[in-house]
Amino acid sequence: MTQPTTFDFRRAISDNRLRGLWRMMSDYRLPYLGAALALAISALSKTLTYLLLRYFADTLTGDATPIGGDMSRSLALIALGFVGLALFEGGFSFISGRWAAYTAEGITRRLRDFLFDHIQRLSFSYHGSTPTGDLIERVTSDVDALRRFFNEQAIGVGRIVLIFVINFIALLRLNAKLAWVSVIVIPFMLFVSLWFFGKVIKRYEKYQEQEAVLSTTLQENLSGVRVVKAFARQPYERDKFERENWGKFERGRELLKMHSLFWPLSDIVLGAQMLGGFIFAAMMAINGEITVGTYLAYVGLVAWLIWPIRNLGRLIVQTSTGLVSYSRLMEIVKQAREPLTDGKVHPAGPVRGEIVFEDVSFAYDDVKSDGTPVLKHVSFRCEPGQAIALLGSTGSGKTSLVNLLPRFYEYTGGRLTLDGRDLRDYPRAYLRRQIGIVEQEPFLFSRSLRENITYGVGRDVSQAEIEKAARAAAVHDVIMSFPDGYDTLVGEKGVTLSGGQKQRVAIARTLLKNPRILILDDSTSSVDTETEAEIRAALHALMQNRTTFIIAHRIQSVMAADLILVLDKGEVVQMGTHKALLAEGGMYRQIYDIQTRIDEALEQEIASAA
Amino acid sequence: MPEIELEEEEYTSQLTAPVMKRILGLLRPHWRWVTGFFTAIAITSALDGLFTYLNKMIIDEGISAHDPARMLHLAAIYGGFIVLQAGMVFSFVYLAGVLGERVQYDLRKMMFERLQDLSLSYYSQMSVGRLMARVTSDSGRVANLMTWGLLDTTWAITNIATSVIFMMVINWRLALIVFAIIPVLVVIAVRFRKRILVEFRRSRRVNSKITGAYNENISGVRVVKALGREDENLNEFRTLTGEMYEASYRAAWLSALFLPVVQIVSAVALGAIVWYGGIQSQAGLLTIGGIHAFVSYLTFMLWPIRDIARVYAEMQHAIASAERIFKLLDTTPEVHDRPDAVPAGTLLGEIEFDHVDFYYEDRKPVLTDFSLKVKPGETIALVGPTGGGKSTIVNLLCRFYEPKKGVVRINGRDYTEYTLKSIHSRLGIVLQTPHLFSGTIRENIRYGRLEATDEEIEAAAKLAGAHDFITTLPKSYEENVGEGGNLLSTGQKQLISLARAVLAKPELFIMDEATSSVDTLTEALIQRGMGHLMAGRTSFVVAHRLSTIRRADRILVIEDGRIAEMGSHAELLRQRGHYYRLYTQQFRQELEQQYGSGALASAAAD
Repeated sequence: MTQPTTFDFRRAISDNRLRGLWRMMSDYRLPYLGAALALAISALSKTLTYLLLRYFADTLTGDATPIGGDMSRSLALIALGFVGLALFEGGFSFISGRWAAYTAEGITRRLRDFLFDHIQRLSFSYHGSTPTGDLIERVTSDVDALRRFFNEQAIGVGRIVLIFVINFIALLRLNAKLAWVSVIVIPFMLFVSLWFFGKVIKRYEKYQEQEAVLSTTLQENLSGVRVVKAFARQPYERDKFERENWGKFERGRELLKMHSLFWPLSDIVLGAQMLGGFIFAAMMAINGEITVGTYLAYVGLVAWLIWPIRNLGRLIVQTSTGLVSYSRLMEIVKQAREPLTDGKVHPAGPVRGEIVFEDVSFAYDDVKSDGTPVLKHVSFRCEPGQAIALLGSTGSGKTSLVNLLPRFYEYTGGRLTLDGRDLRDYPRAYLRRQIGIVEQEPFLFSRSLRENITYGVGRDVSQAEIEKAARAAAVHDVIMSFPDGYDTLVGEKGVTLSGGQKQRVAIARTLLKNPRILILDDSTSSVDTETEAEIRAALHALMQNRTTFIIAHRIQSVMAADLILVLDKGEVVQMGTHKALLAEGGMYRQIYDIQTRIDEALEQEIASAA
Repeated sequence: MPEIELEEEEYTSQLTAPVMKRILGLLRPHWRWVTGFFTAIAITSALDGLFTYLNKMIIDEGISAHDPARMLHLAAIYGGFIVLQAGMVFSFVYLAGVLGERVQYDLRKMMFERLQDLSLSYYSQMSVGRLMARVTSDSGRVANLMTWGLLDTTWAITNIATSVIFMMVINWRLALIVFAIIPVLVVIAVRFRKRILVEFRRSRRVNSKITGAYNENISGVRVVKALGREDENLNEFRTLTGEMYEASYRAAWLSALFLPVVQIVSAVALGAIVWYGGIQSQAGLLTIGGIHAFVSYLTFMLWPIRDIARVYAEMQHAIASAERIFKLLDTTPEVHDRPDAVPAGTLLGEIEFDHVDFYYEDRKPVLTDFSLKVKPGETIALVGPTGGGKSTIVNLLCRFYEPKKGVVRINGRDYTEYTLKSIHSRLGIVLQTPHLFSGTIRENIRYGRLEATDEEIEAAAKLAGAHDFITTLPKSYEENVGEGGNLLSTGQKQLISLARAVLAKPELFIMDEATSSVDTLTEALIQRGMGHLMAGRTSFVVAHRLSTIRRADRILVIEDGRIAEMGSHAELLRQRGHYYRLYTQQFRQELEQQYGSGALASAAAD
């Protein structure tokens, strides 16, 4: 079988959850139905085993004639029959298990793939408003719940129902009266079992809640170990933990009380049903209404029919968790993706980098911001290769402005053009290839430094090239100081890099990517003097011949820019070169003056100390 | 945030016997329950065997003999045993279940108490996630082994034993046929188990990688998008899910194959019973009920054999868990009281580091030949680059660690001669990343001194400068801080941890200043709170702010585990060395930020 490994799960969106699950099974329905069919054949073989037992007993008692009148030959054939039926039963049960696993694992696999891809293509606003933990929880636990739904629960319910139907038909054929007598308590038992497991699930949730409380207590204690020790609060912590620990024990006991009542009570009910059937059948056998062989077959069939019923309730209740997981996953699937390749133009070469903002406005479209614009009437022009500096305090709109360029967000008013064409004409993927971003503290992946540097470059890069970029980014020496050099892992299992080092890795990465447009977050906070100089040099190397947007809140880093935009509350309050702005006065001049004041103050401070 | 499943080292030492013995030792305090559930499960299982035998009697003595009275009599006995068995089922489900919960409780308690005593050196080697796994999942696994695992084993043994006995009673020749297949079945079970286990472990490993990949791609989604790496990421991820599919599909179908194989093998025995039993019955040596009973006992014995594979796999898993638990319990705290330790009278005396060497587990020297004398009431500021050894000095001072060489003296006496509690209860610490516990603000402040009254708590909050912001909260002091205090801002958390330290009335105050900036107003409050705390006590501050540094009596520039410069603010500035550089840089930055944001705000207001 060639396995179908891709599926667009958006096609499985449905208000009817069962229909949705059915759609999810697309391409897998045949093997799954095959699994069910194999299951039926397997169950039928088992039923036939009991009927063969009946024939066997009847042969011995003389109620049936041996095959060909030869007893020992007949016995041998019956014995072979048992082995043959076992082969059938086992073989088909294997096929059923294998096909069910094929279906469940296959669906899970493509579901995982789909979700992974879907999530990385969802919009910035979605990611901005959804906590990572919640997403992870869904793509792991809920996916697993669906896997179990297909592999265990749905097939389990099918199994019990099939066994019931097949055996009941067999019983009916043995003796109709007997058959009806044997299932009197079944509806009742099914009802009780559903009710019971419905309750158990609720208690179990409480137990889980307590477990979560216990975990939190433990986690806070472990991560706050210094505080605990520093205040010598071990006894207090012990008491706190003891309380929650005991609470979990108590809730576990509550849960067990239910189980320890349900199982024996259902034992008694089902046992009584069985025994009643036995007595009834035995009386019939004694009166000669049925043969001893029929009695034997009956005993086997009825046991197989009755006992699984109480598990049916459990499985049905569990399937409801599968349905809940379906809904939780579909909430993610429903989200619209960012179209990466849609666009009116598909240029073959790189952009020149001429960017024009004409009266551009922008507002986030989420509920929290209720349409308040974060950028208002921004107009300016940027020639290819120029450096544009954005100066302003936190929340002034600097980041929102640069986020428009790679179309992380779409501008909502005015007109924004790149090389004379509306930005929205360019496919996002193309734009993002043309734009390099160096954040203040970039996110690095827990991979080797080499992989981090070549991440997203999109072509094979030689070691020499990597090292060249790393040297230009002033990070080569740092990397070589680690025992594993470029193979050193970043993160928990490897080295922890400082903010400045991370930034330089990102610079090396951007150098390799060689974009035409550059966005630099230069709001350097606290780094030692040497590193700052190194980063500055690296940044300078990076900016050569590229259109660059620098986010800054210090005059020092913007002075050399071709155009400085002073932003405040989403508006450009001043615009021009350093010189022009100084002459103009206003906010820029004020900030500049503060710088000078700082130098004076420092001189004073040192003088007074000395 | 769910814990990302960590790959656990599997201890596969061959010596499982001592571990098993120790595991069983955990049951000793609860031996009554253990005996109870053992008895109950044994009776339950034996009754199962008896039911089959009763059925045989009903067939032979009731039906075949056409004796309704005898049949009813036997049925009545059967009914009685059903009730008895139900009682037994009740007992073992309850007892085994409660015992399991109880053993978990015990293990968690033991581990938690040990963790409270362990030194920071232990915590620095073990991630919180790993420790959590010990206390939560490992304890669960061990408890499961000791209850349901033992239960399954007992049940299996009684089951097979009862079957064997009844079969011997009915017909020993036929019984021998059945016994012949038992070893075959066991070999099959063990083989399957091994192969299934391999795939299972592989799928678990891949699964944790998958979770890791999700986690990283979601938290780094901004970079992924900016670099347009979606397709490559998907391809990489596909390799993982492909591997996952291979492993779990194999594990699933191998499991699906196992039972049929066992059934088919036993069907051969069944065929033999039918054929040979048929012949015997022709000779009048065996009744129909007898043959039927054999068939039942045969299927009956399959269950435990089928379960062997599962139980064995779980047992291995649980033993590995137990080994990890015992390893934790057996760890002795590196820093602990000496047998002859005495309480430290006061910490408000002279504190001296005398030629102290220190290194962490990686043995890279952090402090070398470090000496320092501090007068009571002095305020010491530690400054210098990250990794220079500032935090280590603080850790040693708090006796979270002890010197590898040299001595730390308090009041002229080696501080390892004092009890830990007497030192720790006199400390006041404010950490760089303030740690709060879930609960109300009041509870968090009270952590500093448990017996403090509400008035004292509020007084402490006022001194620390936290009172004003607390009272603006809707529920004031009763406001919940959230898990780890995450409903509050960093600045607010700092204020509360200051109040907590104020309440503790420490003799030695230690603060690791936060590097992240908080708003100007909060910063001023924090500074005021610190001022109150430092008055009249010896203080050590890992300082990042100018105001803190200026306040110090003595400033130590720590570089590469040594004191690079030491002196007062003025003295050090005059030297125009390390301190001068650090100071001017910090000065520029702080003022820029202050003026910068202030100027922008005022300009906008115009």
